[in-house]
Amino acid sequence: MLSAAPLADGRAEPLSPPVVAVRNLRRDYGAIKAVKDISFEIQEGEIFGLIGPDGAGKTTTFHILGGVLEASGGLVLTMGRKPRDMRLQIGYLTQQFSLYPDLSLWENLRYVAGLREVDGAVFKERAWYYLRLMNLDQFPDRLAGQLSGGMKQKLALCCALIARPRLLLLDEPTTGVDPVSRREFWDLLSNVARDGVTVAVATPYLDEAERCSRLILMHEGLVLEEGSPASLKENLGCHRLELRSGRLAVLERRLLSVGRGAQPVLKDVQTFGDRLDVLVTETGAGETLVRQLASGSGSIDRGAGEDNGGTLDLDIEVREPTLENVFVARLRRDEPEQVRLPFPFSPSVASTPGSTNAALPTFSAIEARGVCKKFGSFEAVKSVSLKVGYGEIYGLLGANGAGKTTTIKILCGLIGPTAGHMALCGQASDLRRESLRQRLGYMSQKFTLYDDLTIKENLEFYCGVYCVPEKLKQERIAWVLRSSELTGQGGLLAGKLPGGWKQRLSFGAAVLHQPEVLFLDEPTSGVDPLARREMWKLIRDFARQGTAVLVTTHFLEEAENCNNLGFMVAGSLVSEGSPSQIKAEQPGTLIELTLADLPAGYAFLKENLPPWRTSMFAHALHVVLDEPQIELPLLREKLSRGGHQVLTERPLPFSLEDCFISIVQRSTGKTV
Amino acid sequence: MHLERLDFRLQLRALIRKELQQILRDRQLIFLLFAMPILQLFIYGFALSPEVDRLRLGIVDHAGSSISRALAASLVVNGVFEVEESGGTEAQLARKVQDGQLDAGLIIPADLERRYRSGQKTRVQVLIDGVDANTAGIASGYVGQILAAFNRQLTTGTQLPGELVAPQITFAYNPGLISSWFFVPGVIALVLNLVSTLVSSAALVREKDSGTLEQLLMTPVSSLQILLAKIVPLSFLLMITVFVALMVAFLVFHVPFRGNLLLFLFVSFLAILVGISIGIALAAYSENQRQSLLTSFFVNLPVIQLSGAIAPLESMPEIFQWMSLLNPLRYYVSCVRAIILKGVGLEEIWPNVLALAAYALILLSLSSSRFRKQLK
Repeated sequence: MLSAAPLADGRAEPLSPPVVAVRNLRRDYGAIKAVKDISFEIQEGEIFGLIGPDGAGKTTTFHILGGVLEASGGLVLTMGRKPRDMRLQIGYLTQQFSLYPDLSLWENLRYVAGLREVDGAVFKERAWYYLRLMNLDQFPDRLAGQLSGGMKQKLALCCALIARPRLLLLDEPTTGVDPVSRREFWDLLSNVARDGVTVAVATPYLDEAERCSRLILMHEGLVLEEGSPASLKENLGCHRLELRSGRLAVLERRLLSVGRGAQPVLKDVQTFGDRLDVLVTETGAGETLVRQLASGSGSIDRGAGEDNGGTLDLDIEVREPTLENVFVARLRRDEPEQVRLPFPFSPSVASTPGSTNAALPTFSAIEARGVCKKFGSFEAVKSVSLKVGYGEIYGLLGANGAGKTTTIKILCGLIGPTAGHMALCGQASDLRRESLRQRLGYMSQKFTLYDDLTIKENLEFYCGVYCVPEKLKQERIAWVLRSSELTGQGGLLAGKLPGGWKQRLSFGAAVLHQPEVLFLDEPTSGVDPLARREMWKLIRDFARQGTAVLVTTHFLEEAENCNNLGFMVAGSLVSEGSPSQIKAEQPGTLIELTLADLPAGYAFLKENLPPWRTSMFAHALHVVLDEPQIELPLLREKLSRGGHQVLTERPLPFSLEDCFISIVQRSTGKTV
Repeated sequence: MHLERLDFRLQLRALIRKELQQILRDRQLIFLLFAMPILQLFIYGFALSPEVDRLRLGIVDHAGSSISRALAASLVVNGVFEVEESGGTEAQLARKVQDGQLDAGLIIPADLERRYRSGQKTRVQVLIDGVDANTAGIASGYVGQILAAFNRQLTTGTQLPGELVAPQITFAYNPGLISSWFFVPGVIALVLNLVSTLVSSAALVREKDSGTLEQLLMTPVSSLQILLAKIVPLSFLLMITVFVALMVAFLVFHVPFRGNLLLFLFVSFLAILVGISIGIALAAYSENQRQSLLTSFFVNLPVIQLSGAIAPLESMPEIFQWMSLLNPLRYYVSCVRAIILKGVGLEEIWPNVLALAAYALILLSLSSSRFRKQLK
């Protein structure tokens, strides 16, 4: 091969030496082996992703690449030399915000530039270039502390770029940043990569990982998989069937009762809010099996009560597997799935065990009608009405500042609304009463547990204030420890736990008293995909026992777990429905385009369409068109006149993230 | 209905246990509670009342009588002063003190004997080298103390009441500096005030700071329980602080404990409640620990200065003496001095105890209602 012909996964044949070369890298902290033996290369202009569960060694790897930590063994070269010697060529964005909150945007930039020996006219020119690129140029004098989370990360990115590094290291740059800002941030990264900067990024969001040109999946200090998102999915050798049915729980039970061993075609069953995802090795055989189960023929373990063996309505769609499927499947191969211990439910007001959704109260668990909240002249929540029934999982979604947190606080009775009607557990007055609060569970966005108490002390404390009787206490504490994989670690200080474990433990503490209504404010932030999936199983267990669940999240992929969703924009609830409904009601069509010169085509479309309608993924562009029959030919023509050759085009199903972005953009109306 | 019944005591127990666990695990708070009182007592007790002896004293005795000689002897006898050449005249004595050749000068008027016989008060003049303010203060204090003792000796001899020899001290701006005995009760009050406000505001603000307060408010506990759980363990621990301070006073400074221990513990408890109330108020108005700590300086410094714990109130301008009546700590300081040093009982100090109790009650209800309002 002579020239830079594209490889199978779209990557150009490397001509220059790799920007990063890692061979047999090791790093120990005392007896702990954080990184055991990893090797990879990053080519110029790549957006290279590191994914993996908590404690996989991603941050350590970044520290070594950034030249702030020495390797214990192996070879690490950045741009052909030791990272320490190349530090001026490396931009590094750490997990924490690395800005000075009491300096202005401009002062922060100037400070970082000073450290990196950039000053004078060069600094000014670059500072303005990046501020304009990030849409931050209107307020260079604003204090960094007053910026929103998304803006802070953009400013941090500016700071990392000001010295024009050749390599940019980003360690979970979008944790806690809302989906709109996240997409914007990734669009910016595409621009940066186009400028010739090589980007290495660690992320817990697998939808973001889709936008990397190549990925490695790390686990316990080793690289498990390497390749482009497309090749990883292909290597999985599975197809994903999306199943929808009116009686999802019954279908799920039948599928699970078949077992993985008995039917080798069936690889995995995952439950979402209004659908099941089934991984099968072969589409035809898989579909046949599922239809057989749905029709009630064959040997089915009827299980408890409600499965009367009848035929279920069924709708099957064949999709390609997601990166999450890859992630979970690959990690499961190493660690067999743990047997889950169900929560020791005791019969409660809302339900009786074994008869799911039977004997539920007729009134809603949470009911809000026209609820408003004003802070001074600022209207944080504008006439929100919603209902959450017992046994329902309701997801409240919205960008930062959309009023989600205020709404949750009103819904759980922490603050009173300025106007409107609120009822909790069928009671409309005196929502702060202690006896009512005992029936609620609440997991706040900030840390629920006391850092300076041990895990056990924390759990015993919550048992105490909720008056969990002594005979149930030990059993439930044992359950929390087991479900968060912390059995035997009860004496550990809660503050010493990594973020993901803390969240799982907080969830356990919030449900110790088996609440009737459960409020979860971003419960899975910082939790890795595998643990996240387990947590959602637990949430579903509670819902099936009759608990009403209200949850907020920034992960739109996991909003699929909700039965119903509400989207908030600027204090109003603008759209409501089940995930499938929301996607179906979404106007327009999502079109995937592949172009000969992707970055140039992307820039071109950005100029010619409202910016939110286009976003760049690893090997394709996503474009939202309202009437593709008319618009697509026009667009094609426009592109070819601009000198951009369209290779392929195909319609794609909307993801919830696409819906979210477009709902937000349409209702703010700025760019339509 | 299988919801468990809420049990006030059970919940309170869980809250208090958690509070104790948090405090006992916080090295900084433990240091504040137990090490700081000891440290402060040592610093104030030793640094501010160094044992000064062999001060050079010049005497101009115009009386030349047996009483005046006895007076001069009483000053020398315990080794604090040593008599040196005075120069004979008042002018020369004054110059020698000014030049620093003498630390102190005593002028005994000629009519001492006559006035003593007729039972009248006599003024003796004391000149003190004010360059070294500390030594000056101590010297003047000793003179005052020795003359007071001399007075007692004279009156018991003659059975005449009242002061007969009154020192008129020229540099006596600091009449309180008598000995560590004077300091120790004051320092106990000072430390108790500092520690109780700091620790209680830290315990409350920490909960606000870390966001766990919101979580706590969602649990079925009342704001009364939350506050009680903060106050009860702290009061208990601070009572231990009082005990520790008392032991140091007793063992290290040999301060006699003349009064009723129970009465002392009771007034200390009231003072602790006052301190905790101030802490709660600080926490109610602060967003984070740093803010409450900084604000505590603005509150605590004047409270301590205007309490008479360090500088005697009598040495202050009158307006400050009046202002000190608004200061709850003032009442505690006088109670403690009276109980420890004078050994008096409730019959003597009840107005102070009453004032302290009233302040404790008012401040506690004000600050807790303010904090509870914030919880809603």
